[in-house]
Amino acid sequence: MPDATVIEDEETVTATHRWWHRWFRTPGELRELGVVGINMRNARFLLPNNPRRLYELVDNKLRTKALAEEHGMNVAETYGVVRTPHDANKVDKMLGGNESFVIKPTRGSGGKGVIVIDGKNGKNFVKPSGTELTPGDLRNHVSNILAGLFSLAGKRDYALIEYRVHPAALLTALSFQGAPDIRVVMLHGYPVMAMLRASTKESDGRSNLHQGALGIGIDIATGITVRAIHHGRLVSIHPDLDIDLIGVQIPEWDTILQMSVTCQEMTGLGYLGVDIMIDETKGPLMIEVNARPGLAIQMANGIGLMKRLEPVVAQHLRRPNADLAAKIAFSKAHFCAKLPPMRP
Amino acid sequence: MSAQAKLLTAVALLIAVGGGMAAYKSAKLGVPFWEGERVDEWIVEAKVSFLATGRDVKARLALPAQAEERGRGQESGSLDYSYNTENDRGEYTAVWSSGPREDGQALYYRVRFQQGLTSGGEPKPAFEKPSAPEVPRLPGSLGAAAQSIVTRAKNVSADPDSLFVTLFKQINSVEASQEYLIVKRHYEKDGTANPEITMGIELLGLAGVPARLAYGVLLSEDYTGQPPVPLIEYYDGAFWKVRDPSDPSKIPDGRELFVWHRGGGSLLDVTGGENSRVTFTVAKDRIPLATLTNLRDSPLLVSTILALPVSERAVFRYIVLIPLGAFIVVLLRNIVGISTLGTFMPVLLALALLELPLVQGLVMFSVLVACGLWFRFLLSRMNLLVVPRVAACVVIVTLLMMLMGVLSFQLGFSVGIKITLFPMIIIAWTLERMSLIWEQEGKRNAIIQVAGSVFVAVCAYHFMKVSQIQYWAFYFPELLLILLAGILLIGRYTGYRLSELIRFKSFSNA
Repeated sequence: MPDATVIEDEETVTATHRWWHRWFRTPGELRELGVVGINMRNARFLLPNNPRRLYELVDNKLRTKALAEEHGMNVAETYGVVRTPHDANKVDKMLGGNESFVIKPTRGSGGKGVIVIDGKNGKNFVKPSGTELTPGDLRNHVSNILAGLFSLAGKRDYALIEYRVHPAALLTALSFQGAPDIRVVMLHGYPVMAMLRASTKESDGRSNLHQGALGIGIDIATGITVRAIHHGRLVSIHPDLDIDLIGVQIPEWDTILQMSVTCQEMTGLGYLGVDIMIDETKGPLMIEVNARPGLAIQMANGIGLMKRLEPVVAQHLRRPNADLAAKIAFSKAHFCAKLPPMRP
Repeated sequence: MSAQAKLLTAVALLIAVGGGMAAYKSAKLGVPFWEGERVDEWIVEAKVSFLATGRDVKARLALPAQAEERGRGQESGSLDYSYNTENDRGEYTAVWSSGPREDGQALYYRVRFQQGLTSGGEPKPAFEKPSAPEVPRLPGSLGAAAQSIVTRAKNVSADPDSLFVTLFKQINSVEASQEYLIVKRHYEKDGTANPEITMGIELLGLAGVPARLAYGVLLSEDYTGQPPVPLIEYYDGAFWKVRDPSDPSKIPDGRELFVWHRGGGSLLDVTGGENSRVTFTVAKDRIPLATLTNLRDSPLLVSTILALPVSERAVFRYIVLIPLGAFIVVLLRNIVGISTLGTFMPVLLALALLELPLVQGLVMFSVLVACGLWFRFLLSRMNLLVVPRVAACVVIVTLLMMLMGVLSFQLGFSVGIKITLFPMIIIAWTLERMSLIWEQEGKRNAIIQVAGSVFVAVCAYHFMKVSQIQYWAFYFPELLLILLAGILLIGRYTGYRLSELIRFKSFSNA
C-alpha cells in the first residue's frame, strides 16, 4: 500500500534528472532551486531578525498565550498551571470536570513531554491510543516536567494543563491518530509558506516530519493542499488511511493567515513559524510560536524558501510599515502555487 | 561598519597577529617551525619538595658538575628564596635559604643539554688518592662469608672494573651462592634504602676498592616525577668511574641516563623541613638553548608555555589540543552537518581517547554505554526524578568501570586498568542524553547522534594526534589565533552543509 502512493513528479524529473540525484544534489542546483540550508537560515534570517531577548516570549508558552489573548486571538483554554510539586495533587481540581485535556511543559519544544488525555476510565486517564495512565503515572510525569526534563537546557519548568483540541473532521481524516497542525512560516509578517503536518502510524501520533509524519504543502493564496511528502518522497495518498491528501481546502484559511500575522506583530520576531490547530467547535486556535522553524516546509511545498523570502525582503524594504491586510494581500498575490484540480 | 567588514577586519587582525608572532619566533628567534628541524635537547628538572616546619629553611641540592662547569643552560626557580651555588672542589651544590616558612614548599632546578652527549659518568681523575676504604664491620660468620665472597671475586678479576662486574652480577643474580644470600639478608634486615647497593659498596671496600653512591636520572619522558636512580661510583686506582649496578657491565649511555650527582656526599639536605624529597621530570625540548635565552627576555614569552616548570608544562600538552578539537567539531557540524550529542562532548571524548589506544578506547566506550543504557532503562521504570537518575547513572558507570578493570586484568589486558582514567562523567552524561533522545525522538535519532559524536571524536582524535600539529599548538600557541580566525569565518558560512546536499536530494520543483 505505501509503495503505491509514491508517485514520480514526471515533468521535473525527466527535465533535469542526473545520475547523482539518486545520492545528492550539487550546491549549485540547490541554490538554483532556492533551497535554504540551516547555516543560511541562521545567518541570514534568524540572527539578524530575531533578537535573543524576544525568544523568552515564545519559549515560554504561558507568556505566548497571555500575549495572544491580549491580542484577541483564540488559544486553547488553560485549565491550570502546576508550579510546585505540591500542586501536582491538585490536577483533578484544576480540570474541573473536563475529562479530556493536554499536559505540556511550558518551555518544551518539538512536542517533548506532551501528554494528551482523551477521557477517563474509572480513576485512570486514557490516551488517544487507548493506553491508560494511573493518577500516579500522571503525577510522575508532572514532576518530571517540573524538574525540567523536557525543557530547553533542562531549566526548571511548569506544567501547563489545557483544553484538548478536537480537530475538525476534515483534518482528522488526513491523520492517523494525533491532531494535525498547520505551520505557517513568516518573515517580517509576510506569510511565506505553509504546511499541514499529519501523523502516520509510524510517527505514532506525533507530527515531526523526521519521525515519519506527513508534510502537506498548502497554497498561501487559497489554503488548498497542493503536495505531500513522506520521508522526503512525494506521496498523494496517506500511507495508512487510503485518503487523498491533495486538493483539500483548509477551513477558515483567512483567519489562519490573520492569526499568523498577528503572532508576528505581538512577538516582534522577524522570522518565525506559527503552529495552529483547527478545533471542531472553536475554529483555529494558536498553539505555539516557534522562533527557529525548520526547513522541511520547503520540501513539502516543493519550493525553495529563498524564492519566497527574497521578494519579502525586497517588499519590506520598499514598504516597511505595511499593515496586516497589505501583507496578506502581498503574500496571496505573489505566493500562489500551481493548483491541482479540486477534489470533488 | 557592516557586520561583514567587522568580521573580515577581525579575521585579518587575528591572522596578522598570530602569523606575525609565529613568523617572528621562527625567523628571528630561531624556533624551528617544522617539527623535523627541531634540535633535540633534554631538559631535566629537579623538584625539591618538603613540608616546612615553621623555622628558617635551608635546602641544599647537589648539582650535576658538568652543567655548572660548562655553563650550559641551568636555572633555578623558587618564590622568595635566596639562591646561590657553592663550588667545593668541583662539586656543586645549589643552596636555597629563606626565613621561617610553613606548609609544602617546592624548589626547582633545571638543566638542559644536548641529546647524545656524555652522560656525566665519565672516568674522572681524583684530586687526591682516596684513603683506603673503611672495612665494614660484619659480625662473626657474616664477616667470614663476606671475606670469602671477596676473595673469590678477586681471584676471577684482573682489576677493579672486572671486580665490580663480578660482584654485582652475583648480587643481582637470582641463583646467587649461599654466602651472597646470607650477606644480602643481613643488609636487607638493616633496613637501608638500597640494601643491594650498600652491600655492593661495602664488599668493594672489603676488596680495597673505594666506592660511593651516585645518583642519576633516566632520560625518558614517560615518567613525571621519577625518583633518583642510585648508581655506584668506584675508584679504579686512577679514575672515579660511575656504573649502574643493575647493569654492571654497561658503561652509562648518555642517551639513556644522566648522572646528576657524583663524588659522594648527600644528594639533598633540608633543614627546617620534613618529608623532603627530590624528584625529576625529564622532557625533550625542541627549542635550541641559545634561542631560549633570547626568548626568555622577549615579551613573547607570555605566549610560550616554556616559562613554566616542566612538570606543570605537561598539563598544557593536552590543554592546547582542546581548541583543535573544537575546530574539528565546528567544521564537522557546520560544514559537513553531522549531528552530535551536545556540542563539545566529542572533544571531551577525543581527549579521553588520547589516553588509551583508539580501538580499545572505542570498545570500552561502546560496552560501557551499552550496559549503562540498559541499566538506565531499568531505572526509568522506577520513574525517578532527573537529578537522582543522573546520579544513579554515575554510580552504575563507576561500578561498570571497576568491573571492566578487574575483568580485563584477569584476562591479561592492561588497558582495563587505564579505563579508570577514562572520564567517567562523559559516559554518564552521554547515557543520560542518549536515553532522553531515545525516549523522545526514537532510537534511530539516538543512535545517529551517538554514532555522529563518536565519528567526530575519532576525527578530532586523529587531528590532535598528528605530531606536527601538536608541535605547533605547543610551541606556537599564537597559531591558535589563526584557528580562531578560521572558526569565525565558519561562523559566517551560509552555504549548504554536505548533509543537506543529501537531505534535499529528492527536492523537486512543484
